[in-house]
Amino acid sequence: MQATGTLADRQSRRPAEARRRRPDLGRAMTLAGLAMPAIVLMTVVNAYPVVYAGIQALHDGDLLNLGSFVGLANFRDALTDPLFWWSARFTVIFSLCGVFGSWLVGFALALLLKPEFPGKSSFKILLLLPWIVPIVVSSMSWNWLTATPTSLLPVLAQDLGFGRVMFLADPTMAMITVCLFKIRISYPFMMMMMSAALEGIEPNLYEAARVDGANSRQQLRYIVLPMTARSTYIAWILMAMFSVNDFATIYLLTGGGPVDSTTSLIVLAYRSVFQDFRPGYGVAISFLMTGALVTLSIILFRQIRRANIA
Amino acid sequence: MTTPIATAPARNSLDPRRAGFGRTLAAAIVTLVLLGPIIVVFWLALRPRLYTDITGPTLETFGYIFANTDILLWLKNSAMVSALATIVSVIVAAPAGYVLSRGRGGAVSVYSLFIFVVQSFPVVVFVIPLFIMFAAVGLVDSLGGVAIIYVASSIAVACWMMSAYFDTIPVTLEEAAWIDGCSVFGGFVRIVLRNSLPGVLSTAIYAFLLAWNDYLVALVFLRSDDRFTLPIGLQTFFQQNQTDWGPVMACAVVMLAPPVVIFAFLNRFFSIGGIGGSLAGR
Repeated sequence: MQATGTLADRQSRRPAEARRRRPDLGRAMTLAGLAMPAIVLMTVVNAYPVVYAGIQALHDGDLLNLGSFVGLANFRDALTDPLFWWSARFTVIFSLCGVFGSWLVGFALALLLKPEFPGKSSFKILLLLPWIVPIVVSSMSWNWLTATPTSLLPVLAQDLGFGRVMFLADPTMAMITVCLFKIRISYPFMMMMMSAALEGIEPNLYEAARVDGANSRQQLRYIVLPMTARSTYIAWILMAMFSVNDFATIYLLTGGGPVDSTTSLIVLAYRSVFQDFRPGYGVAISFLMTGALVTLSIILFRQIRRANIA
Repeated sequence: MTTPIATAPARNSLDPRRAGFGRTLAAAIVTLVLLGPIIVVFWLALRPRLYTDITGPTLETFGYIFANTDILLWLKNSAMVSALATIVSVIVAAPAGYVLSRGRGGAVSVYSLFIFVVQSFPVVVFVIPLFIMFAAVGLVDSLGGVAIIYVASSIAVACWMMSAYFDTIPVTLEEAAWIDGCSVFGGFVRIVLRNSLPGVLSTAIYAFLLAWNDYLVALVFLRSDDRFTLPIGLQTFFQQNQTDWGPVMACAVVMLAPPVVIFAFLNRFFSIGGIGGSLAGR
């Protein structure tokens, strides 16, 4: 998609073209037909299960039987369970790290890779690798690096005088390790989003700013940040969704432990369903989580549209 | 770009002009740190498995895993599932993305919102109802069943990616075709789709990565050893061989090779930046 024009380009072009054509029944029918496969698929494999899961959340059954109707008991149980609130707290921490940590790293790298320099394109591909490499593989390499007292990083920490650092056995260190792992596998997404946004900025703007005597920090503050704000917000929303719904990253690295310290809501939901066999409860947790997430996204989208930035 | 006005040669990170070797060095250091864990995987995989007199890197461990594990079977399963999911995703997402790009009005807004809301739900929500549905039609423990779920979980972003690419193709091209008597559908296939190879590839890569890298769906739906895909096979193998890291890492290399090779050749077609406009544009 390197031919993608700048956002501003497309924003101005699209509505004008749309207005030029008169609505016509045949065209509408064709478009409806073209949308149909996706609509059917999403209704059967996404929407129907969501509705079913909603019903399930109001029942107390097991994996294959719906059980009896219990009203909002599952939601009440979740909201009064300290582990739910702990997991909610960890989900927030984990997602904030995922969103802002990876944004900072990804944006910095996007800026680093912006000008031409020898080897630029190779670095661009290499730096995307952590995102392409399967999480199963990444988590294994982190396990090898950190899991036991004789692994590389604990030994290194020992030698450097930090003492016995238990990366995955100590609750606080486990939380930090999981968050760092998340940043490492997520920054390439941010790097791609921000690189695309940076390419949309007219080079003349920097030129003009430089002539006016703006230093690089001022250029960043008054040109780059505002001009990429829209992409930034969208990247945040998407990354928040990816982080909150991220099961494999946490589950593969720590399984939610030690002593539940890295249990996020999605891990808790998974455990409720497949280890405690309480699907109603697990699904209720997921719904609470998704509800919060969608609310947040809608607020942010409103913000983007109202501000109509860049 | 080329400025004759010689102000201070302020070569900072925002400077759109050419930077020098200093930047190469900085990028190399950052890359080395960030890729450390991947380098570890290769290093362990290329070490001799047994204590022999081999000192340099060796492919011996790879010989061991191909002879002693089911990795070829897992590889075949993963390849089949991912190929199927990729092809179906593109076939479904291309026309849907066209509608998002060209359609206007209430129905399209509702459609767009539907995609957004559906994609917000975590897979855990879908899993049990799908398990029950699939059990009824014999799709549990089936590679086809898993592929269907992969298509469903990639479809939202795939639609946005296609739509973002179609936005870059001028509507005037289609209008010319319509005037020449081409139908809307014909315009979509002959004009838009034919000029959308980068968009199609981009979407295909996304769908492939999602299917190839998935862990949760395979964990829940694939039950028997001969249906395992690489992540699940690798995981069971890893648990049985806690201390024997060489073979585990050799399997890991086999698993990360296809996406990396595909990306190395096709990365110039891949851009996720465009989905932003498509998402917030309406």
